[in-house]
Amino acid sequence: MSEAPKAMTAEEAYHNENDKVLRFLEPRFHEEKFPSIQILGYIGSLILTFGAYFLVMNHVLPPVALLSVILILAVFQAALQLGVFMHIREGRGLAWQLIPLYFVFFVALGMVAMSIWIMLFKSGVS
Amino acid sequence: MSLPLAEKAGQHPLPIEFADEKESIKITGFWMFLVTDVLIFASLFSTYAVFRTSVAMGPTPDQLFRMGPVMLETILLLTSSFTIGLGVYFMRKGQVRALMGWMIVTILLGAGFVGTEIHDFVTFAQMGATWHTSAFLSAFDILVGTHGAHVTFGIFWAITLLFQLRKRGITPQTARKVYTYSLYWHFLDIVWIFIYTFVYLNGKIV
Amino acid sequence: MPSFVTYLIHTLFPPTVRFPDILLIDAGLVLGGLGLIGFLTKTHRWGWLWREWLTTVDHKKIAVMYLISAIVMLFRGGIDAEMLRAQLAMPSVHFMPAIQYDEVFTTHGTIMIFFMAMPFIFALFNAVVPLMIGARDVAFPRVNAMSFWLFAFGAILFNISFIIGGSPDAGWTAYPPYTGLAFNPGPGENYYFLSLLIAGMGTTMTGINFLVTTIRMRAPGMTLMKMPMFVWTTMVTSALILFAFPPLTVALAMSLFDRLFGSSFFTLTRGGMPMMYVNLFWLFGHPEVYILVLPLFGVFSEVVATYSKKALFGYPMMVVSVLAIMFLSYGTWVHHFFTMGAGPAVNAFFGLSTMLIAIPTGVKIFNWIFTMWGGRIQMTTAMLYQMAFIPTFVIGGASGVMLAVVPADYQLHNTYFLIAHFHNVIIGGTLFGLLSGMYYWWPKMFGMKLNERQGKVAFWLFFIGFWITFTPQYLLGLKGMTRRLYTYPAGLGWHELNVISTVGAWIMGAGFVALVYNVVWSLLYGERDVTGDPWDGRTLEWSLPSPVPEYNFARIPVVHERDAWWAMKQKGQTMAHALRPEDVHDIEMPKNTPIPFLLGVSFFVLGFGMTFKWWPIAIVGILGVIACLLFSGFDYDDHHHLEADVVRQTEASLGRLQG
Repeated sequence: MSEAPKAMTAEEAYHNENDKVLRFLEPRFHEEKFPSIQILGYIGSLILTFGAYFLVMNHVLPPVALLSVILILAVFQAALQLGVFMHIREGRGLAWQLIPLYFVFFVALGMVAMSIWIMLFKSGVS
Repeated sequence: MSLPLAEKAGQHPLPIEFADEKESIKITGFWMFLVTDVLIFASLFSTYAVFRTSVAMGPTPDQLFRMGPVMLETILLLTSSFTIGLGVYFMRKGQVRALMGWMIVTILLGAGFVGTEIHDFVTFAQMGATWHTSAFLSAFDILVGTHGAHVTFGIFWAITLLFQLRKRGITPQTARKVYTYSLYWHFLDIVWIFIYTFVYLNGKIV
Repeated sequence: MPSFVTYLIHTLFPPTVRFPDILLIDAGLVLGGLGLIGFLTKTHRWGWLWREWLTTVDHKKIAVMYLISAIVMLFRGGIDAEMLRAQLAMPSVHFMPAIQYDEVFTTHGTIMIFFMAMPFIFALFNAVVPLMIGARDVAFPRVNAMSFWLFAFGAILFNISFIIGGSPDAGWTAYPPYTGLAFNPGPGENYYFLSLLIAGMGTTMTGINFLVTTIRMRAPGMTLMKMPMFVWTTMVTSALILFAFPPLTVALAMSLFDRLFGSSFFTLTRGGMPMMYVNLFWLFGHPEVYILVLPLFGVFSEVVATYSKKALFGYPMMVVSVLAIMFLSYGTWVHHFFTMGAGPAVNAFFGLSTMLIAIPTGVKIFNWIFTMWGGRIQMTTAMLYQMAFIPTFVIGGASGVMLAVVPADYQLHNTYFLIAHFHNVIIGGTLFGLLSGMYYWWPKMFGMKLNERQGKVAFWLFFIGFWITFTPQYLLGLKGMTRRLYTYPAGLGWHELNVISTVGAWIMGAGFVALVYNVVWSLLYGERDVTGDPWDGRTLEWSLPSPVPEYNFARIPVVHERDAWWAMKQKGQTMAHALRPEDVHDIEMPKNTPIPFLLGVSFFVLGFGMTFKWWPIAIVGILGVIACLLFSGFDYDDHHHLEADVVRQTEASLGRLQG
């Protein structure tokens, strides 16, 4: 207990000893003179939305493929919102929200997919 | 780590909502709340996925959904997500009037979304398609209704934030509140995109 | 208006709550309540109660309140268990009618899981986690108080059901269609759903709070791999809570909507599917059992290292196995309903994933044994519970692997074999761990030790009683006795084993009495802990005086090693030698607030109104909730400064300041 706590630089805090393995949590800030990223993100989100709409309304693919494609478009849209508008990589110290967020999308996907798989029994047995 | 961060001259300054350590911890906490909320919606989506075909004597998704109002709601919500993004951009520049202006636009767009959605639900009810009708409609109503309730809550939250901003201006505390609110709002946009895709568009794939 | 009064009496006091024993309890509760009010008034303690407890945001006081509630609930759940065993001791006993038996097993399970084990775990979290990581409080002190009051009022709402309106009676899992309005019209199940929703909100908030506390509030230098094992398990448990409670919330809300608003999620008509509830419930339920046991793995890791005077063996493997358990626990939930018949592929998948969990758990067991190996073991009460845990949990876990074998599960499902299995892991893992942690950290929480001799008596009664109760139940299960039978005829060969089991339950009851006696006796005459480090501990909480001052650490420590306090002691760098007056600065502390308590009251009013579908009352509750939220949104005055001089005086009076 002999050392008094002295201020660290942000860099030092991120690279603090053993937590080097958590380098991927290092935050990144972006700053612009003009909100060009936001505007591009908005245009991108509109394109993804209408793209999915026209794919479905014109029945360009067989049903299962169509559903897969529009779900992939939705995932792109989610990534776009998280990256452009929600500043997912920002934080003071490490950007700790990343780990639970990666995990939660995995769990959420598993929850929906597995529930469908498990509850299919209604068409089989009974 | 809880050591004070030494801000070196010339080093990248932290945005105002992260300037205070305690406030930045609240942002982490809010992310964790969003994580649980993702799973609330995942559970609702699971229920919807399982009950999608349990239409009993009621209408099927294809018969029920009309894409016009849905597209309107989608555009309103996507635009509101954009406007609150601009609000945060101006907050970081310290422009409180621009921030409040974009927040008011966001609130109006959100109110338009909720209004359209309520109108849609009333139309369904007039057709006799309420959640008494079938398991499909129960699951549909609770999924879309939970999202709508979130948006409604967000509108009232934004109104209280406007009062705080008017009184206090942009401080680390109010900035943190606006930032968490913007996270919430973008998150609702993401959820809506999945509702739009997995409920409405999926209903039109026959 | 006599018709109104009759309606009220019929609704609030239907025949199911007019059994003689319940009327007796009613009288006792009224007398006890009046006595308490009289006592508080006579000793002028209302102000003290309000200022020091009801409005507190101090994690140490919240821990004490959690602990008291948990022990009260252990008593209630224990009484339920004794009633069940009394009924089953002999064939064809009608000590309780079937309906009351159903209510008692439902409340026993629900209370023990949600209102005993969970708050007990949160008591330990609150009591030591901030101290272990060198923090002054949790990340969100107000939210912490809200969590407690939501839990407390949820528990009250659940517990009043047996005197007002009737208890839930569909089992702790509350499967539809037992809970459907058509089969269960009383208010009992509404109580169940609403109280769990309210308490569940509190639990989710606790999960967020402790996850953020452990990842953001650690003392400088305490990297992830230098955290004490209990902090690791706290972090993982909090993450599990975050990920597990949403499906429960959704399932409960849907069942409630089915009952109150006529939706058809789990109904038998209009396309509803009861098994979807079961799916959602166990999506929560399986992670829940790891929520119940992982923190105790952390407790055992601390206890075994301290009393063996050795560092925990295989710390990195312990961390890996905790994380592995966390991941795997999301992929096993179908093993609770193999008999639904989801098909061979589904059942095989979930059977295998269930067996996989035994591997990381086995790793942990070996690590604890190797920690003891070659150590200088002190046989304290906490250590006895730890040593009892190992064989008990191993056998409970092994019977769990038996149940994971799908064909065997078709035989064993819902028999007493299952009952014995989960009591073996929940009592052997959770309850023993909770009591171990209580004995271990009691000096830190209250400033005095629990009497060891009495504690050992209680331990042996619990341990022996446990085996006598549950070993016969494995055999009963194999002999075909199913769970939730309210009575059974003679001649099935179940009689003798049931008698033995009931005797065991009495022994455990005696153990509880010994435990309470031990606590009360120690509070009155217990040996005071003046060192702050009675066990020669290893982690930072033992660097503080007992009980801990309001601000925890006069100066935040810097951590260099894994067992930080042990390392400091080895190097002769204890706090008492190093703290100079100029090291102490003003401390920012959270301010007390009545909002969490009032929020709890509002939710209680809302829940009560909804239980009986008295909408005006429910609306009053909602307005209360909105008022609380608005008030806290506009309240910027949430902390105060503790002057450095006050801190210096406190530290000096504890003999911890130089000069």
